Amino acid sequence: MQHTHESINKALEEGLLTKVTKPTRYTGGEYNQVKKDWADIDVSMAFGFPDVYEVGMSHLGLRILYHLINEQPRMVMERVFAPWVDMEKEMRARQLPLFSLESRRPLTDFDVVGFTLQYEMSYTNILNMLDLAGIPLKSIERSDDAPLIMAGGPCAVNPEPLADFVDLVVLGEGEEVLPRILQRIAQFKQAGRWRTCAETRGREELLFALAQIPGVYVPAFYRSEYDEKGLFKGTIPNRSGVPARISKQIVADLDKAYFPTKSLVPFMDVVHDRVMLEVLRGCSRSCRFCQAGSIYRPVRERSMETLKKQADELVKTTGYDEIALTSLSTADYTCVEPLIQSLIATHQEQKVGVSLPSLRVDAFSVNLAKEVQKVRKTGLTFAPEAGTQRLRDVINKGVTEENLMETVESAFANGWTGLKLYFMIGLPTEKEEDLEGIAQLAERVVYRGTGILREKGIKKSVKVTVSTSSFVPKPQTPFQWEPQARIEELEEKQAYLKKRLKDRRINYNWHDAKVSFMEAVLAKGDRRIGDVLYRAWQKGCTFDGWSEYFHFDRWQEAFAESNIDPEYYAYRTIRYDEPLPWDHLDFGVQRQYLVREHKKALEESLTHDCRLDSCSGCGVCPTLGVSLDLRGEKHVPNSDRI
Amino acid sequence: MKSMYRIRIAFSKQDPVRWLSHLDTQKAFERALRRAEIPLAFSEGFNPHPKIAFASALAVGVVSLGEYADIELAEDMAPETVKEKLQQAMPEGFGVQAVKKVPQGTQALMAAVNRAQYRVRVPLAKEIEDGMVKAALAKSLAEEAWLVEREGKKGRSTKDIRGGIYQLTGHIVESHLVLEMVVQTGSEGNVRPEEVLEIVARTGSLPVHIERIRILRLGLFVAKGDRLMTPLEVI
Repeated sequence: MQHTHESINKALEEGLLTKVTKPTRYTGGEYNQVKKDWADIDVSMAFGFPDVYEVGMSHLGLRILYHLINEQPRMVMERVFAPWVDMEKEMRARQLPLFSLESRRPLTDFDVVGFTLQYEMSYTNILNMLDLAGIPLKSIERSDDAPLIMAGGPCAVNPEPLADFVDLVVLGEGEEVLPRILQRIAQFKQAGRWRTCAETRGREELLFALAQIPGVYVPAFYRSEYDEKGLFKGTIPNRSGVPARISKQIVADLDKAYFPTKSLVPFMDVVHDRVMLEVLRGCSRSCRFCQAGSIYRPVRERSMETLKKQADELVKTTGYDEIALTSLSTADYTCVEPLIQSLIATHQEQKVGVSLPSLRVDAFSVNLAKEVQKVRKTGLTFAPEAGTQRLRDVINKGVTEENLMETVESAFANGWTGLKLYFMIGLPTEKEEDLEGIAQLAERVVYRGTGILREKGIKKSVKVTVSTSSFVPKPQTPFQWEPQARIEELEEKQAYLKKRLKDRRINYNWHDAKVSFMEAVLAKGDRRIGDVLYRAWQKGCTFDGWSEYFHFDRWQEAFAESNIDPEYYAYRTIRYDEPLPWDHLDFGVQRQYLVREHKKALEESLTHDCRLDSCSGCGVCPTLGVSLDLRGEKHVPNSDRI
Repeated sequence: MKSMYRIRIAFSKQDPVRWLSHLDTQKAFERALRRAEIPLAFSEGFNPHPKIAFASALAVGVVSLGEYADIELAEDMAPETVKEKLQQAMPEGFGVQAVKKVPQGTQALMAAVNRAQYRVRVPLAKEIEDGMVKAALAKSLAEEAWLVEREGKKGRSTKDIRGGIYQLTGHIVESHLVLEMVVQTGSEGNVRPEEVLEIVARTGSLPVHIERIRILRLGLFVAKGDRLMTPLEVI
């Protein structure tokens, strides 16, 4: 049966929604939702988030692009999320296709379905969503009646494992590129060259036209080559007229960049349920494991005036009681103190609080946290990342043990009784003493905290949560050539820490090493991984990021059937002169810089933050034609170190 | 003592917000009140919350034409102004029907409300006569106990809901069985309309697609002797 929005609506209202948990995942209708009359639009896009509603709705990029596109008079963007397993079952039983929340149209009604790639473990959900929508999974199988399948977001740094499934990939920040892409599609439709009647054969031509837009990568126009031993040799154009390297696009002036003054207000609890105020983009602290630090450069800040105005409007239009200052490192915002003071002064009376999602390890950050406490009490989280000074120098985490102790002392002295510490295990050059360092650091924090609480006469016991994630080498970082520690090794390290962190005031949790292994394979994979993804999905893998639905055995079967050795991707030390599957995608950070940083890491030598010192030569500014954009006085909180 | 201004809001909850849970509904109100810039009174403490009290929780998926909430304001505001501002700030599907000031010393909304009126509608599996419905109602109402099984926090329990049925009528409309009822709600105990349907259908062997039930709450009331008054009428 061919479904329309009427028949989908009927199925949902008559029984289907009563059968599933959390029906508001599928109903839409949130405050500030935009519902357009499809008779008045030229081009339509569904924004697909390959995870469940409450995760997807916490994504700032969705909220920016949703209002940006919907403010264009003849364009529409609607939302679609991965239906939770109970909903999927009901939909498949009724042969109900995946639909958008706003108009409840099947996805095949849209010109574009764009997926954001936020984490590797959501890839199988993309395949599953296409299947649920009745869209052929592989790009090559789609004709003009299927929407264009687009992808973007941080994992577009290496979209090669998805090359068979997506028609085009947007590299970089979407605010400027996406309207241009949709405009081009609208022109094609108006000229009767695509999707206007059943006979059009315009898909390839349209993709070729889109490939002319800077930042647009059409995987089908390139082919990957391998040598007789199966080693990756390179990805090159297979037709003329497309660039050999595709450059990411970024917003040069963040202060003038579009930012919505309205925001969707979900009914159910979502992960980030608050006003999200983006104070800056990028981070130049240069932690060597960090992909975000590489791909969002350079640092661009918004002005205080703009942010205050945005906060006022967003509080008014959403009714939220909390404003989160979001960015990769908000304490680094040059106007952070006056901004917080001003926001609190303005919104305190309506009991609207301010929150800081990420804190640096320094007393300055604790002061900021104390400041925002005036309205609402929140937890404190710090990320020293490694247990010894040596290893923190390797990863260029500019934090000393003194910094950390000073920070936690200040936290306990200011009324906190618990805090969270984040570390990474399996980092390059890690030794047993580095793990022991994590345990000792946690213990020192507990002892110091207990001492301070006792002095203050507080009876409550100190609570320290230690979380470890496992290092995953990521493209476009200085550690992209590094092997990942083997699963067994990571599990041994976790066991070591479990044994060491027995103090009942310390709570230890860790990430599944098998998931980290899969992340490495998908993050650094080439096009051959597409077959593995396809087979894993066929075996029922979806929601791999949810531990209860992660089935490593199915992935292993998929690797075996595809004749792919996952260890080739995760465990191999890559030589500097080897071609990389993401070499044809230019994210601005120069290869020589990454090599230099990698070498410096092994020498335990530090690299400065270019905001505080001279240019470190990553190459982003000259390549992309942009520059650092700071709005306040430079402040040097860690001047003893950097 | 701080002077308090309490207002009572009568509202409806229809598509698409009928899918909101009770907690979601509370949150939707809090946010709408903020958007409407209505001066709210807050609780003390680390996490200050506006003081909003609902008459009764409404099950997910149920449409209601008569819900109520009491809200404490930090300063006086004309009920008409609240009504207008709030209606503009509510998500689609909520209708603000009336707003009235609550005098000092009025019984709490939740404690006062003890009756709910429902209409349930369910498709017939095969055509039947109205007479069969009447017979089913008569037979069920003649039973002394209506035992229902409920899943609670402490496991399954059996409850007799017969005493909580105050009015019950039924008829056939366009191949659907329609029941209308006034039942007990609130602190003395809740009767669920789907339980009433199940008992009537079972006792009278009525062929219905029970899983496709649609429930409409027509209103909430305060029983004063034989009279049913709305929460707005009692103030």
